[in-house]
Amino acid sequence: MFKGTSASAGIGIGKVAIVEDVQLVIKKETVANPQTELERFKAALMQSIKETGALAADLATRVGEKEAEILNGHLMLLSDPMLTGEIESTITNESVNSEYAIERTCNTYADMFASMGDELMQQRATDMRDIKTRMQKVLMGVESVDIASLPAGTIIVAKDLTPSMTAGINPQNVTGIVTELGGRTSHSAILARALEIPAVVAVADFLSHVKNGDQVVLDGSDGSVYVNPDSAVMGEYEAKRDAFLKEKKELEQYIGKPTVTRDGVHVELVANIGKPEDVDKVLQYDGEGVGLFRTEFLFMDRNAIPTEDEQFEAYKKVAVALNGKPVIIRTLDIGGDKEIPYMGLEKDENPFLGYRAVRFCLDRKEDVYKPQLRALLRASAFGNIKIMVPLVTCIDELRQVKAIIEELKAELDSCHVPYNKDIQVGIMVETAAASLIADIFAKEADFFSIGTNDLTQYTMSVDRGNDKVSYLYSPLNPAVLRSIKRVISCGREAGIMVGMCGEAASDPMMIPLLLAFGLNEFSMSASAILKSRKLITSYSTEELQAVADKAMSFATEKEVAQFMKEFVEQ
Amino acid sequence: MVKAKALIKNPTGLHLRPAGILCKEALKYKSSVNFLFGNSRNNAKSVLSVLGACVKSGDEIEFICEGEDEEVALAAMLKAVADGLGE
Repeated sequence: MFKGTSASAGIGIGKVAIVEDVQLVIKKETVANPQTELERFKAALMQSIKETGALAADLATRVGEKEAEILNGHLMLLSDPMLTGEIESTITNESVNSEYAIERTCNTYADMFASMGDELMQQRATDMRDIKTRMQKVLMGVESVDIASLPAGTIIVAKDLTPSMTAGINPQNVTGIVTELGGRTSHSAILARALEIPAVVAVADFLSHVKNGDQVVLDGSDGSVYVNPDSAVMGEYEAKRDAFLKEKKELEQYIGKPTVTRDGVHVELVANIGKPEDVDKVLQYDGEGVGLFRTEFLFMDRNAIPTEDEQFEAYKKVAVALNGKPVIIRTLDIGGDKEIPYMGLEKDENPFLGYRAVRFCLDRKEDVYKPQLRALLRASAFGNIKIMVPLVTCIDELRQVKAIIEELKAELDSCHVPYNKDIQVGIMVETAAASLIADIFAKEADFFSIGTNDLTQYTMSVDRGNDKVSYLYSPLNPAVLRSIKRVISCGREAGIMVGMCGEAASDPMMIPLLLAFGLNEFSMSASAILKSRKLITSYSTEELQAVADKAMSFATEKEVAQFMKEFVEQ
Repeated sequence: MVKAKALIKNPTGLHLRPAGILCKEALKYKSSVNFLFGNSRNNAKSVLSVLGACVKSGDEIEFICEGEDEEVALAAMLKAVADGLGE
């Protein structure tokens, strides 16, 4: 068995077709007439631009604009005056052949990009080599490997797939991809996921162990690859593949279906996101909104606080894409455990109990909190944005945030900037303190969202990253369950929405309990949405009351887990 | 010759797509459009030259435009950068 990096989920079974880029041999030759050679180069350049443009257009219609972006980048490089100028002057000044002039010039740039040592720049080095080969092939009349006409049931095996190679892949015929190079974010991996072809990348030295026609089985979920497996392995993976496809098909039926229990209780099934781009996935899996948009990404990997305008654009983008569906945006949740050098945060002795989240924001109103809240208010004119405050422990914190928001609203009014005047401001319930006074918070917060990751950590006083104590980290602990149940009933009594945005919201053992407690909204990673919808629609909240009562009667986590496991399995 | 400083604030810095947008803007003008960053002088009309400068988000560059439409070109470059280069 070989092991690589899983790049695109699913089981691929088929016959190997090794796709090797033809090794071009580039010789330096002296040309008698540089002027004629220059014309030859220009014609080849035009032809390369034409071919790349056609590939990009084809990919854009077949797969998507985003996937065609790399090829559009190639077009820009091919039309770059500096690159073509340098190739042309090499031809005229040194009287050499075009192939050689291209080789030398492109390699110089590829090496320059490769030596810059950041991942995006490495990609530019690959791009330079890709366009180099394309121009040389045109000049030398070499046909590219015709990936588009591979027979059905083919597993493509390659050292690496260049964008121009992957562009021709037909998912009807290609059942899997294995490459020796690349990573989860390399171009071939992204395209494999977009085309839903199972793929494993970074399988070291794979090409020296396979030949064309070999039978290969790959598991794109765990990165394992088998060459000519015995019948037992084959049978196992055929079953796995069928189960994977069956589940996928089954779950697809839940796209567009309402999330309603058998006894008619409607709940919202929404997604957690970290970047505006994640919205694509939310829509793909039919999320009914965004239950948690973490805004930290905007502040990471940079040298200065993002401006109000920059934040506004990011929030607006998500609000517009969700087209009126709720978008809960959590204000900045950072503290001493996350390194953001320009924020001037000192290392906290006890970061999770220290200067973080809303505590930090209320202390840095002018340069941090106000710009963010203003950006959120302005973006609220473009969709259904709700503001969520993290890590509150006492009512003063919520009151202070609301006072700032009122002040900013008045400011916006005086400048005639539009925003949603009824914008909801809620809290993330993730501390024991907030849970214990949930009834007080329910009178002043517009909604609750229970953050079970932190709630479990703070309630059980356990660091889940510490192996010696992580056994305590489970939301099924009676203490955590009581806390969750209490928060939900306090919110329900006050008539506000209660959601959950921790991992527990998509946990099959937790879902029945949460439904019985009366949770209104479940927020999870987009890929878990359809599975959860299937589960929720199979239950009746009335029938679940007895299950929840029984679960709440146990004294230990072990008993609760055992009971819920048995319930879920039957 | 006119010049002015600009702060790159789009998240990925001058990577391929933003660099492409910058070049497209520069190519609209007859004047030469260059920018200084660190010790290097770079041609804003060449995507390769822009990429080679390795400018990251938060960096400051200085545009230098020279030619008959230099004032307009400089203003347009500053606006393109301020607008976030398509990001």
